[in-house]
Amino acid sequence: MTFTAESQKIIEEYLVALRKQLRELIDDDVNDIVEEIRFHIVDKSSDDASPEIVLATLTALGTPEELAGRYRTDELMRRAQSSRSPVTRLQSLFHWATLSMAGVIVFAISVIGYCLGGGLVIAGVLKILNPHNTGLWKTHYPDGSWSLGAGSGSQPGHGKELLGWWLVPIGLILGSVLLLLTFQFGDWCLRRFWRPRVPRSA
Amino acid sequence: MKDSESTFKATTAKDALGARPEIGAQEIGPDKWEVQLRKGSLELAILSALWHGRLYGLEILRDLETRSELIVVEGTVYPLLNRLRALGLVESEWVESDFGHPRKYYQLTPAGRLRAVEMARIWVRFSASMTNLLAPLNEDLKNDDPRKDEL
Repeated sequence: MTFTAESQKIIEEYLVALRKQLRELIDDDVNDIVEEIRFHIVDKSSDDASPEIVLATLTALGTPEELAGRYRTDELMRRAQSSRSPVTRLQSLFHWATLSMAGVIVFAISVIGYCLGGGLVIAGVLKILNPHNTGLWKTHYPDGSWSLGAGSGSQPGHGKELLGWWLVPIGLILGSVLLLLTFQFGDWCLRRFWRPRVPRSA
Repeated sequence: MKDSESTFKATTAKDALGARPEIGAQEIGPDKWEVQLRKGSLELAILSALWHGRLYGLEILRDLETRSELIVVEGTVYPLLNRLRALGLVESEWVESDFGHPRKYYQLTPAGRLRAVEMARIWVRFSASMTNLLAPLNEDLKNDDPRKDEL
């Protein structure tokens, strides 16, 4: 059985688009998937390789974007569960957030946890490097009100630093614990709540 | 590529396959619940299809269509096979065929066989429980069926 030039063109365009959509996966997996889909199309068109039959086969597979999305979702979640990198974990949680409300909540809590934890660790380190201008200040105002400010840079004019050198152990230990807890939280949520979906077709 | 993609969207799997409920398809059947039920059974259906030996993707699709009422959307099966492989429930290998191109065959791993047995056991137990529960309802339905005289 031979494909007409038009059928061949339709197949190649589909596979190129599919490959492009799968770019987040590793190359070996992408090649494997694309070849399997190519030979599925060939088998389905073995009796009639007209463009109409080829198009019907591609329709049954879904658009390249839909088909790739089904592979990508599972792959990203699997990668998140096996990776220790917060960046990979956040990428996958973001992808989950695009799929469900549970994902949105887990992603939001994780972002807050990583930001707070990272911020505390950075504050602890900056306190060592730049002790006079890093800290947690309580500032009193003439009208009796007061405010808290944390950070590194110019010391507020009327502020009183509250933590002093305690910021170093507090920042480093509390920040590290928070980062670890956030990581464990994401891990637990993925295992507990993530269910690989049998996605809806077109 | 845009033109081709829009062409793919123009004709839906529903048009091609008729009105029977499909696994992995949007609400097509009489009830969304039925579609969800069928979707949920796809993993077990695929593991069952592989019970007697290795098959490639299209053979699995045809086996499910031949041996059951299930019509499976093709674009759903391959990603699911990929996931089952990642979970260690099936393994795959490319095998040269007489048709001029290789085919990717899937077969159950020992863990996959255990999983299939476990799922089948749950399914049978659940199904029996539901059949018992639905017995009075089925009786009433039979009595109310206007075609009962013809039966």
